[in-house]
Amino acid sequence: MSLAVALTKGRLEKSVTAMLEECGYGVQKLKDKGRALVFEDTVKDIRYFLAKPNDVITYVEHGVADIGIVGKDTLMEGGKDYYELLDLKTGECRFILAGLPGNNPLQKVGHITIGTKYPNVASEYFHRHSLDPEIIKIDGSVELSPLLGLCDGIVDIMETGTTLKENGLVVFDEVCRISARAIVNKVSFKMKRDEVMEFITDLKEKVNEKC
Amino acid sequence: MQEIRIPQGMRDLTASQSRRKEALRKRIEDVFDSFGYEKICTPTIEYADTYRIGFTSATDLSEMYRFLDQDGNLVMMRVDMTVPIARFCTTRYSKAEPPFRFRYCSEVFKIRHMFAGKRSQVTDCGIELIGLDDHSDIEVLYTAIRVLQQIGAKQYRLEIGNSGFFRVAAEKLNLSEEQRTTLADLIDRKSLVELHEYLVKMNASKQIQAFFERLPLLGGGSEVLMEAMELSFCAELKEEVGKLMKLDENLRKLGVMDHVSYDFGKIPHLDYYTGIIFEGYVSGVGTSVLSGGRYDSLLGRFGRDLPACGFSVKLDDLLDILEEEEKNVVRIGYPKGKEVEALILSETYRKDSHVELVLWDEDKIEVIV
Repeated sequence: MSLAVALTKGRLEKSVTAMLEECGYGVQKLKDKGRALVFEDTVKDIRYFLAKPNDVITYVEHGVADIGIVGKDTLMEGGKDYYELLDLKTGECRFILAGLPGNNPLQKVGHITIGTKYPNVASEYFHRHSLDPEIIKIDGSVELSPLLGLCDGIVDIMETGTTLKENGLVVFDEVCRISARAIVNKVSFKMKRDEVMEFITDLKEKVNEKC
Repeated sequence: MQEIRIPQGMRDLTASQSRRKEALRKRIEDVFDSFGYEKICTPTIEYADTYRIGFTSATDLSEMYRFLDQDGNLVMMRVDMTVPIARFCTTRYSKAEPPFRFRYCSEVFKIRHMFAGKRSQVTDCGIELIGLDDHSDIEVLYTAIRVLQQIGAKQYRLEIGNSGFFRVAAEKLNLSEEQRTTLADLIDRKSLVELHEYLVKMNASKQIQAFFERLPLLGGGSEVLMEAMELSFCAELKEEVGKLMKLDENLRKLGVMDHVSYDFGKIPHLDYYTGIIFEGYVSGVGTSVLSGGRYDSLLGRFGRDLPACGFSVKLDDLLDILEEEEKNVVRIGYPKGKEVEALILSETYRKDSHVELVLWDEDKIEVIV
């Protein structure tokens, strides 16, 4: 049976496509794609499509895609109705707690305010520290919010740390590490178990080779 | 202008959708009837306390439609049929002699997340076999397979797990409540990455780690039963696998093994399951369409200790894959003023088919070909 695989557009696209190519999958069309959104594998019986991170989860949960490749950051913030079978160990970065030097929210006395694009991740992190901050959802350039005095600190993704440094912010703590994951629709795993496991095993071998 | 909408998560069904749903319900209920089940009905709202008794672990009320009745008691729309039937059976049939074979087809309600594309009201069509121990599991499983077959999908599969397997392992290893809940959740979601990280953090021995990391992928045909037997590190675990082996043998005798698989990574969310748990899948639907299991301790919580096993089918998820059935309609044309004559003529056809009266300009009454 043929497989439908949803790939995340943007940050993960290149490295995941490269991995698939190394596994011997026919993904040339994905590399020079123009505006198309759906691609047939030229070797295997697989159809790929590109989607935004959150939509990859939605497509997998509804079974429109059998498999999805998406960042752990998105998984942590979204639904949980899928199987998470593999860490691709690519697209690696970290969730961090940052703020202005000397203003560590973990040490603050009194009400704490945190700005973030990831309210679930942030509140779960603070609950682990038995703290109950007010979370303010920010949509873009989260680094701006402590500078403007909106909040005491931010929980955000950090790849290189350049943006933080340029805005005079420092990292106080690592919330967790994140990387690309392979998720699978629950029914696909039952009805197309062999096909799904072949795909996962191919990727897994590649991941193990690299580590 | 006034905006007219329906509440979040609700759906209207068109005539065609309703017709398909009715046909499906009929097919499933015919299977239940043929196994001797009798239909019962319970109220749409129950006291929240009834559910607090049924689901002993902290009940998450946020997913339930709840409100106050005229006396200020917290009531809610039922979220399932198993708990109401446990209440019903222990109170209304308290003096009757078991076993009881009940079937139901009722609306159940659960508040879904906004914009997730899921329904908050679904029709739950199922059975409960009450008063017989796990020797009757095979009867319930066989009924479930017959139901899946009747749905009419190209492919269907019943996947069986044993909730006792994980429970015994957790007891043997003296896992804390928190470890047990976390591991159960990670294994059930086959969250392999986090499961590995958690076991490392737990300082579990290499064998324990290998055992739990194998569970999520310990699924497939009869061959996984052998592997589960090898993985079992104590007599009690072997006994739990043995129960599935016995079932496997019986399913084979009944000739339905082509549609059955096993999954040792299936760990129930509801704490009332005590033995087998199972789910049914059909091609073309992205979620399980049938689910059930054995719950020998639930009725005891309501005051009458009876073993029980049951399952239900959620009809609404199946509508999209069903073919429309041909229906036999006779159309009779009639002119204005001849309604009575048209009705009299229609009687002769109404016995065998549906009759639709059609007003037309011609001055005669006759069947439209």
